[in-house]
Amino acid sequence: MKDENWQEQILPLLPPQLRAIFTSLPAALAASLEEIRLRAGQPLMVQSGRGEVWLGLAGPVTALGESCRITAADLQHILLQMTEYSLYARDEELKRGYLALPGGHRAGFAGRVVMEGNQVKLLRDINALNIRIARQFKGAALKILPHVYCDKTQRVRHTLLVSAPQAGKTTMLRDLARLLANGDQQKGRPGFKVGIVDERSELAGCFRGEPQLDVGVRSDILDGCTKAEGMMMLVRSMSPQVIVTDELGRAEDARAVEEAVNTGASILATAHGQNARELIRRPSLAYLLENGLFERVIVLSRRHGPGTVEDIYTGHSLQEWLRAGRECNVD
Amino acid sequence: MWIKWLGAVLILAAALMWGNLQAAKLRARVRELEEFRLALRLLAAEIGYTATPLPRALEQVGKRLGNQGVQAFLAAVRQQLQDPQTADASTAWLAAVHSVKPLLCLTPEDWAVVARASAGLGGLGRDDQLKQLAAAETQLAAQAVEAAALCASNEKMWRYLGALSGLTVVILLL
Repeated sequence: MKDENWQEQILPLLPPQLRAIFTSLPAALAASLEEIRLRAGQPLMVQSGRGEVWLGLAGPVTALGESCRITAADLQHILLQMTEYSLYARDEELKRGYLALPGGHRAGFAGRVVMEGNQVKLLRDINALNIRIARQFKGAALKILPHVYCDKTQRVRHTLLVSAPQAGKTTMLRDLARLLANGDQQKGRPGFKVGIVDERSELAGCFRGEPQLDVGVRSDILDGCTKAEGMMMLVRSMSPQVIVTDELGRAEDARAVEEAVNTGASILATAHGQNARELIRRPSLAYLLENGLFERVIVLSRRHGPGTVEDIYTGHSLQEWLRAGRECNVD
Repeated sequence: MWIKWLGAVLILAAALMWGNLQAAKLRARVRELEEFRLALRLLAAEIGYTATPLPRALEQVGKRLGNQGVQAFLAAVRQQLQDPQTADASTAWLAAVHSVKPLLCLTPEDWAVVARASAGLGGLGRDDQLKQLAAAETQLAAQAVEAAALCASNEKMWRYLGALSGLTVVILLL
């Protein structure tokens, strides 16, 4: 993990006027910043742990009229800085709507999409930008580790972390990967060979191939690779004991998870959803859950801050939870 | 009397040098155009094969070129790109054209072609960027062919013209 703070990594990418605003940000707000939201023609907004904050030239403001307005030129400037004046160098990432930044941060984009057949060819005329500040909370997953790792059998259980967006799934998954890859000699927990399929560069935050976030000493990272293909590549080439991947959802993901499980690797994954009803509405997740491929489902929320563990389902309780979800869907 | 002969030799030498200089400029123009073509091909390779961002791609290409003038041009573009005030890569390229112009032997028409290579630079997807560079390289190739033809037909003329004009002046003065 790079030990520079986010301001050193993000501010050089901003136009001078915005840079000045963020340089003079109150320390408490800077420390809790999660997102910087920039929309053409709209006020400058940031999301912190305490909620939304509008920013004016002199700092936080309460009246929208006093906030700094973002222009299309500001967005274009930031895009060119992020790509080093070379859109072609990042066009695969841009097609997926995001860019990985130094320090493990990410920028998501919205704008005019140019399609070619069913594929996104280009994202141009950017009108909105969301810079997500990466924060690593080492030890965040310690509270769920005993549910994921079985001391007796010394194996990692197939586990699915579930939550609505921004509830800390990825942070938790990254820390689980780190803890499992490092092991703990004092507690007699061995280090596992962890294969990470990081389709959107969120888990390890790779920038130019180098992980910007700590995912452990025994982690092998496939960066920018689709989950289904990546899981199979890892199984073929890196003999992982644990496969870690973010945001399962497509049919091919489910097939790859099934294949990987059959090779003996343990799967740690996340999925969007707040409850069983939402999860089993998605056929691929329903297939995995109904067939018992996941031994643990851990539901997270932001109730007491990101990473709040709401429930941990296993065995019978997992079946009950799924049954309740099915019944809700029927109703 | 010997001063007269010394003066005649100096006039003749100066005229020969002037003629040779004009001929050398013709040769240098051809070399520089070819070097710019090579630079664009190498840049396309950096973009096409490794998607290297422009600042690093320009640095890599510069290292592989033999002509100092074209190297200076690429370095000037790179320097412009390091300035956060630079609007885009196209602006950086055009600023470099302006700053390096006096160092090279290219004609205004050649510079116009070099400047056109800036269109969309860094602002396109990979495929479109490669097509744009290929188009610019084709235009430079046409310019290089014309420059080579001009060099072949006029190089000797400038040398003779230098020598003959020197002799003419000497004869007139003697």
